[in-house]
Amino acid sequence: MNSKELIEINNKKRKKLTAENLAYYENMLVYIRLSHDKAEQETEEILSELLDHLLDAQAEGKTAAEIFGDKPRQYADEIIGELPGIVTKKRILMFIMGILYFMAVFSFLHGLLNAIFYYAFGLGSVYREIYMGSAALKFFISLPLLLGLYYLVIQYLRWSCFQQINKIAEFLIFWVFGILSVGLFLAVLYFVPDFGLKFELPFYFFLLMGCILFLTAQKVKNMV
Amino acid sequence: MAIINQETVYGYELSLKLQNYGLKVSEGSIYPVLLRLQKEGLIKGEFKNSPNGPDRKYYFITKQGINALEEFRNNWEKIKVPVDLLLYKEQIP
Repeated sequence: MNSKELIEINNKKRKKLTAENLAYYENMLVYIRLSHDKAEQETEEILSELLDHLLDAQAEGKTAAEIFGDKPRQYADEIIGELPGIVTKKRILMFIMGILYFMAVFSFLHGLLNAIFYYAFGLGSVYREIYMGSAALKFFISLPLLLGLYYLVIQYLRWSCFQQINKIAEFLIFWVFGILSVGLFLAVLYFVPDFGLKFELPFYFFLLMGCILFLTAQKVKNMV
Repeated sequence: MAIINQETVYGYELSLKLQNYGLKVSEGSIYPVLLRLQKEGLIKGEFKNSPNGPDRKYYFITKQGINALEEFRNNWEKIKVPVDLLLYKEQIP
Protein backbone atom coordinates (compact mmCIF):
# COMPACT_ATOMS: atom_id res chain seq x y z
CA MET A 1 0.00 0.00 0.00
CA ASN A 2 1.39 3.42 -0.83
CA SER A 3 1.19 6.46 1.38
CA LYS A 4 -1.80 7.97 -0.43
CA GLU A 5 -3.93 4.85 0.13
CA LEU A 6 -2.80 4.73 3.75
CA ILE A 7 -3.84 8.35 4.28
CA GLU A 8 -7.25 7.66 2.77
CA ILE A 9 -7.85 4.61 4.94
CA ASN A 10 -6.61 6.51 7.95
CA ASN A 11 -9.12 9.31 7.29
CA LYS A 12 -11.97 6.80 7.20
CA LYS A 13 -10.87 4.81 10.22
CA ARG A 14 -10.36 7.85 12.41
CA LYS A 15 -14.10 8.44 12.47
CA LYS A 16 -14.51 5.36 14.65
CA LEU A 17 -12.55 6.91 17.52
CA THR A 18 -14.23 8.40 20.54
CA ALA A 19 -13.98 12.19 20.91
CA GLU A 20 -11.32 11.95 23.58
CA ASN A 21 -9.18 9.44 21.70
CA LEU A 22 -9.65 11.31 18.44
CA ALA A 23 -8.34 14.56 19.95
CA TYR A 24 -5.30 12.73 21.34
CA TYR A 25 -4.62 10.86 18.12
CA GLU A 26 -5.10 13.81 15.78
CA ASN A 27 -2.69 15.95 17.75
CA MET A 28 -0.13 13.21 17.41
CA LEU A 29 -0.90 12.72 13.72
CA VAL A 30 -0.46 16.40 12.84
CA TYR A 31 2.67 16.63 14.95
CA ILE A 32 4.28 13.59 13.35
CA ARG A 33 3.28 14.58 9.81
CA LEU A 34 4.77 18.03 10.36
CA SER A 35 8.21 16.51 10.95
CA HIS A 36 8.85 17.35 7.33
CA ASP A 37 12.17 15.63 6.72
CA LYS A 38 10.86 12.12 7.34
CA ALA A 39 10.03 9.52 4.70
CA GLU A 40 6.33 9.72 3.92
CA GLN A 41 5.72 6.02 3.42
CA GLU A 42 7.18 4.99 6.78
CA THR A 43 5.43 7.89 8.50
CA GLU A 44 2.02 6.85 7.20
CA GLU A 45 2.69 3.19 8.00
CA ILE A 46 3.40 3.86 11.64
CA LEU A 47 0.44 6.27 11.87
CA SER A 48 -1.86 3.56 10.56
CA GLU A 49 -0.42 1.04 13.01
CA LEU A 50 -0.92 3.39 15.93
CA LEU A 51 -4.49 4.01 14.82
CA ASP A 52 -5.23 0.28 14.46
CA HIS A 53 -3.81 -0.33 17.90
CA LEU A 54 -5.87 2.48 19.39
CA LEU A 55 -9.05 1.14 17.77
CA ASP A 56 -8.40 -2.36 19.11
CA ALA A 57 -7.69 -0.99 22.56
CA GLN A 58 -10.70 1.29 22.44
CA ALA A 59 -12.89 -1.75 21.82
CA GLU A 60 -11.64 -3.02 25.17
CA GLY A 61 -12.41 0.26 26.91
CA LYS A 62 -8.89 1.66 27.06
CA THR A 63 -8.05 5.29 26.35
CA ALA A 64 -5.26 6.72 24.21
CA ALA A 65 -3.49 8.10 27.27
CA GLU A 66 -3.38 4.62 28.82
CA ILE A 67 -1.73 3.20 25.72
CA PHE A 68 0.63 5.93 24.57
CA GLY A 69 1.20 7.58 27.94
CA ASP A 70 0.13 10.97 29.21
CA LYS A 71 3.01 12.80 27.51
CA PRO A 72 1.91 12.65 23.86
CA ARG A 73 4.57 15.07 22.62
CA GLN A 74 7.36 13.06 24.18
CA TYR A 75 5.93 9.86 22.73
CA ALA A 76 5.57 11.42 19.28
CA ASP A 77 9.17 12.68 19.46
CA GLU A 78 10.29 9.14 20.23
CA ILE A 79 8.47 7.86 17.15
CA ILE A 80 9.85 10.65 14.97
CA GLY A 81 13.34 9.94 16.27
CA GLU A 82 13.13 6.38 14.94
CA LEU A 83 11.61 7.22 11.55
CA PRO A 84 13.97 7.07 8.58
CA GLY A 85 14.66 10.40 6.84
CA ILE A 86 13.88 11.34 3.27
CA VAL A 87 16.36 10.01 0.72
CA THR A 88 18.68 12.73 -0.57
CA LYS A 89 17.51 12.33 -4.15
CA LYS A 90 13.93 12.96 -3.08
CA ARG A 91 15.02 15.89 -0.97
CA ILE A 92 16.76 17.53 -3.94
CA LEU A 93 13.76 16.92 -6.19
CA MET A 94 11.44 18.44 -3.62
CA PHE A 95 13.70 21.47 -3.34
CA ILE A 96 13.71 21.93 -7.12
CA MET A 97 9.94 21.49 -7.15
CA GLY A 98 9.57 24.18 -4.47
CA ILE A 99 11.71 26.64 -6.42
CA LEU A 100 9.79 25.97 -9.64
CA TYR A 101 6.44 26.53 -7.92
CA PHE A 102 7.77 29.68 -6.34
CA MET A 103 9.01 31.02 -9.68
CA ALA A 104 5.77 30.00 -11.38
CA VAL A 105 3.60 31.89 -8.90
CA PHE A 106 5.98 34.84 -8.93
CA SER A 107 5.99 35.10 -12.72
CA PHE A 108 2.26 34.54 -13.09
CA LEU A 109 1.37 37.17 -10.49
CA HIS A 110 3.77 39.59 -12.16
CA GLY A 111 1.98 39.19 -15.47
CA LEU A 112 -1.48 39.19 -13.92
CA LEU A 113 -0.93 42.37 -11.90
CA ASN A 114 0.50 44.07 -14.95
CA ALA A 115 -2.56 43.09 -16.99
CA ILE A 116 -4.98 44.25 -14.29
CA PHE A 117 -3.24 47.60 -13.81
CA TYR A 118 -3.10 48.21 -17.53
CA TYR A 119 -6.59 47.13 -18.56
CA ALA A 120 -8.57 48.08 -15.45
CA PHE A 121 -6.81 51.27 -14.37
CA GLY A 122 -4.94 52.34 -17.50
CA LEU A 123 -1.62 52.29 -15.63
CA GLY A 124 1.69 51.18 -17.18
CA SER A 125 1.71 49.49 -20.52
CA VAL A 126 1.44 46.08 -22.09
CA TYR A 127 5.20 45.93 -21.88
CA ARG A 128 7.10 45.69 -18.68
CA GLU A 129 10.69 46.63 -18.06
CA ILE A 130 12.79 43.95 -16.48
CA TYR A 131 16.32 44.46 -15.23
CA MET A 132 18.13 41.16 -15.16
CA GLY A 133 20.42 42.13 -12.29
CA SER A 134 17.68 43.27 -9.96
CA ALA A 135 15.42 40.39 -10.92
CA ALA A 136 18.14 37.91 -9.96
CA LEU A 137 18.90 39.75 -6.72
CA LYS A 138 15.21 39.91 -5.75
CA PHE A 139 14.93 36.20 -6.42
CA PHE A 140 17.92 35.33 -4.28
CA ILE A 141 16.75 37.49 -1.40
CA SER A 142 13.14 36.37 -1.37
CA LEU A 143 13.88 32.64 -1.70
CA PRO A 144 15.63 32.25 1.68
CA LEU A 145 13.05 34.63 3.11
CA LEU A 146 10.27 32.36 1.95
CA LEU A 147 12.03 29.26 3.27
CA GLY A 148 12.52 31.01 6.60
CA LEU A 149 8.84 31.96 6.83
CA TYR A 150 7.80 28.44 5.88
CA TYR A 151 10.05 27.05 8.59
CA LEU A 152 8.59 29.46 11.16
CA VAL A 153 5.02 28.44 10.32
CA ILE A 154 5.88 24.74 10.61
CA GLN A 155 7.63 25.30 13.93
CA TYR A 156 4.66 27.27 15.25
CA LEU A 157 2.19 24.57 14.15
CA ARG A 158 4.30 21.87 15.78
CA TRP A 159 4.56 23.88 18.96
CA SER A 160 0.80 24.50 19.04
CA CYS A 161 -0.10 20.82 18.57
CA PHE A 162 -0.47 19.75 22.16
CA GLN A 163 -1.71 22.95 23.76
CA GLN A 164 -4.87 24.85 24.24
CA ILE A 165 -4.48 28.18 22.49
CA ASN A 166 -6.92 31.01 22.67
CA LYS A 167 -8.57 31.23 19.22
CA ILE A 168 -8.46 35.02 19.19
CA ALA A 169 -4.80 35.07 20.18
CA GLU A 170 -4.02 32.57 17.44
CA PHE A 171 -5.89 34.66 14.88
CA LEU A 172 -3.96 37.75 15.92
CA ILE A 173 -0.65 35.91 15.72
CA PHE A 174 -1.40 34.76 12.17
CA TRP A 175 -2.66 38.19 11.17
CA VAL A 176 0.46 40.01 12.39
CA PHE A 177 2.61 37.29 10.88
CA GLY A 178 0.85 37.62 7.52
CA ILE A 179 1.19 41.42 7.43
CA LEU A 180 4.85 41.23 8.39
CA SER A 181 5.72 38.66 5.75
CA VAL A 182 3.90 40.49 2.95
CA GLY A 183 5.59 43.70 4.13
CA LEU A 184 9.00 42.02 4.00
CA PHE A 185 8.49 40.90 0.40
CA LEU A 186 7.23 44.33 -0.67
CA ALA A 187 10.25 45.91 1.03
CA VAL A 188 12.56 43.63 -0.96
CA LEU A 189 10.80 44.57 -4.21
CA TYR A 190 10.87 48.25 -3.34
CA PHE A 191 14.42 48.64 -2.07
CA VAL A 192 16.30 46.62 -4.66
CA PRO A 193 17.58 49.19 -7.21
CA ASP A 194 17.29 48.73 -10.97
CA PHE A 195 20.49 47.47 -12.51
CA GLY A 196 21.72 44.98 -15.06
CA LEU A 197 20.51 44.28 -18.57
CA LYS A 198 17.16 45.80 -19.45
CA PHE A 199 14.44 43.85 -21.23
CA GLU A 200 10.98 44.89 -22.28
CA LEU A 201 8.55 42.02 -22.18
CA PRO A 202 4.78 41.92 -22.63
CA PHE A 203 2.67 40.79 -19.68
CA TYR A 204 1.45 37.67 -21.43
CA PHE A 205 5.05 36.49 -21.56
CA PHE A 206 4.99 36.34 -17.76
CA LEU A 207 1.63 34.58 -17.72
CA LEU A 208 2.90 32.01 -20.20
CA MET A 209 6.18 31.62 -18.32
CA GLY A 210 4.24 31.07 -15.10
CA CYS A 211 2.15 28.33 -16.71
CA ILE A 212 5.20 26.57 -18.17
CA LEU A 213 7.03 26.69 -14.84
CA PHE A 214 3.94 25.40 -13.06
CA LEU A 215 3.59 22.44 -15.41
CA THR A 216 7.29 21.64 -15.03
CA ALA A 217 6.91 21.76 -11.27
CA GLN A 218 3.97 19.34 -11.53
CA LYS A 219 6.16 16.97 -13.55
CA VAL A 220 8.87 17.10 -10.91
CA LYS A 221 6.24 16.50 -8.24
CA ASN A 222 5.19 13.28 -9.93
CA MET A 223 8.81 12.14 -9.90
CA VAL A 224 9.12 12.59 -6.14
CA MET B 1 12.07 -10.36 18.83
CA ALA B 2 11.75 -13.81 20.30
CA ILE B 3 8.01 -13.52 19.80
CA ILE B 4 8.34 -12.32 16.22
CA ASN B 5 10.71 -15.23 15.64
CA GLN B 6 7.97 -17.69 16.61
CA GLU B 7 5.28 -16.21 14.38
CA THR B 8 4.46 -13.09 12.42
CA VAL B 9 2.47 -10.63 14.48
CA TYR B 10 1.00 -7.18 14.21
CA GLY B 11 1.45 -4.44 16.77
CA TYR B 12 -1.58 -5.03 18.94
CA GLU B 13 -1.05 -8.80 19.00
CA LEU B 14 2.54 -8.29 20.01
CA SER B 15 1.65 -6.05 22.93
CA LEU B 16 -0.91 -8.59 24.17
CA LYS B 17 1.62 -11.43 23.90
CA LEU B 18 4.23 -9.47 25.83
CA GLN B 19 1.69 -8.90 28.57
CA ASN B 20 0.85 -12.59 28.63
CA TYR B 21 4.52 -13.29 29.31
CA GLY B 22 4.23 -10.98 32.28
CA LEU B 23 6.17 -8.08 30.82
CA LYS B 24 4.55 -4.91 32.08
CA VAL B 25 5.50 -2.54 29.29
CA SER B 26 3.30 0.31 28.19
CA GLU B 27 1.56 -0.73 24.99
CA GLY B 28 2.69 2.26 22.99
CA SER B 29 6.36 1.75 23.78
CA ILE B 30 6.65 -1.18 21.38
CA TYR B 31 6.34 1.06 18.30
CA PRO B 32 9.54 3.07 18.66
CA VAL B 33 11.31 -0.26 19.24
CA LEU B 34 9.68 -1.86 16.19
CA LEU B 35 10.78 1.11 14.09
CA ARG B 36 14.34 0.82 15.30
CA LEU B 37 14.50 -2.92 14.64
CA GLN B 38 13.17 -2.28 11.13
CA LYS B 39 15.76 0.41 10.51
CA GLU B 40 18.50 -1.99 11.58
CA GLY B 41 17.08 -4.64 9.25
CA LEU B 42 16.43 -7.16 12.03
CA ILE B 43 12.71 -7.37 11.33
CA LYS B 44 10.53 -6.51 8.39
CA GLY B 45 6.95 -5.33 8.16
CA GLU B 46 4.46 -6.19 5.45
CA PHE B 47 0.83 -5.34 4.92
CA LYS B 48 -1.36 -8.43 4.82
CA ASN B 49 -5.03 -9.22 5.11
CA SER B 50 -5.90 -10.07 8.66
CA PRO B 51 -8.55 -12.73 9.27
CA ASN B 52 -10.71 -10.35 11.28
CA GLY B 53 -10.66 -6.72 10.30
CA PRO B 54 -8.56 -4.53 8.04
CA ASP B 55 -5.15 -5.01 6.45
CA ARG B 56 -2.47 -4.87 9.06
CA LYS B 57 1.25 -4.57 9.08
CA TYR B 58 2.64 -7.93 10.13
CA TYR B 59 6.20 -8.22 11.33
CA PHE B 60 8.52 -11.07 10.61
CA ILE B 61 12.14 -11.69 11.48
CA THR B 62 14.98 -11.45 8.96
CA LYS B 63 18.08 -13.61 8.69
CA GLN B 64 20.06 -10.82 10.30
CA GLY B 65 17.47 -10.73 13.05
CA ILE B 66 17.84 -14.44 13.76
CA ASN B 67 21.60 -14.00 14.09
CA ALA B 68 21.18 -11.03 16.39
CA LEU B 69 18.72 -12.97 18.52
CA GLU B 70 21.11 -15.91 18.76
CA GLU B 71 23.90 -13.58 19.81
CA PHE B 72 21.69 -11.97 22.42
CA ARG B 73 20.71 -15.38 23.76
CA ASN B 74 24.36 -16.37 24.12
CA ASN B 75 25.24 -13.16 25.92
CA TRP B 76 22.23 -13.56 28.16
CA GLU B 77 23.19 -17.12 29.04
CA LYS B 78 26.66 -15.93 29.93
CA ILE B 79 25.50 -13.29 32.40
CA LYS B 80 22.36 -14.99 33.70
CA VAL B 81 24.01 -17.45 36.06
CA PRO B 82 26.60 -15.02 37.48
CA VAL B 83 23.97 -12.33 38.06
CA ASP B 84 21.63 -14.78 39.76
CA LEU B 85 24.50 -15.87 41.95
CA LEU B 86 25.40 -12.31 42.85
CA LEU B 87 21.87 -11.29 43.71
CA TYR B 88 20.80 -14.39 45.61
CA LYS B 89 24.11 -15.39 47.12
CA GLU B 90 22.84 -15.55 50.67
CA GLN B 91 20.07 -17.93 49.73
CA ILE B 92 22.46 -20.47 48.29
CA PRO B 93 23.60 -22.85 50.98
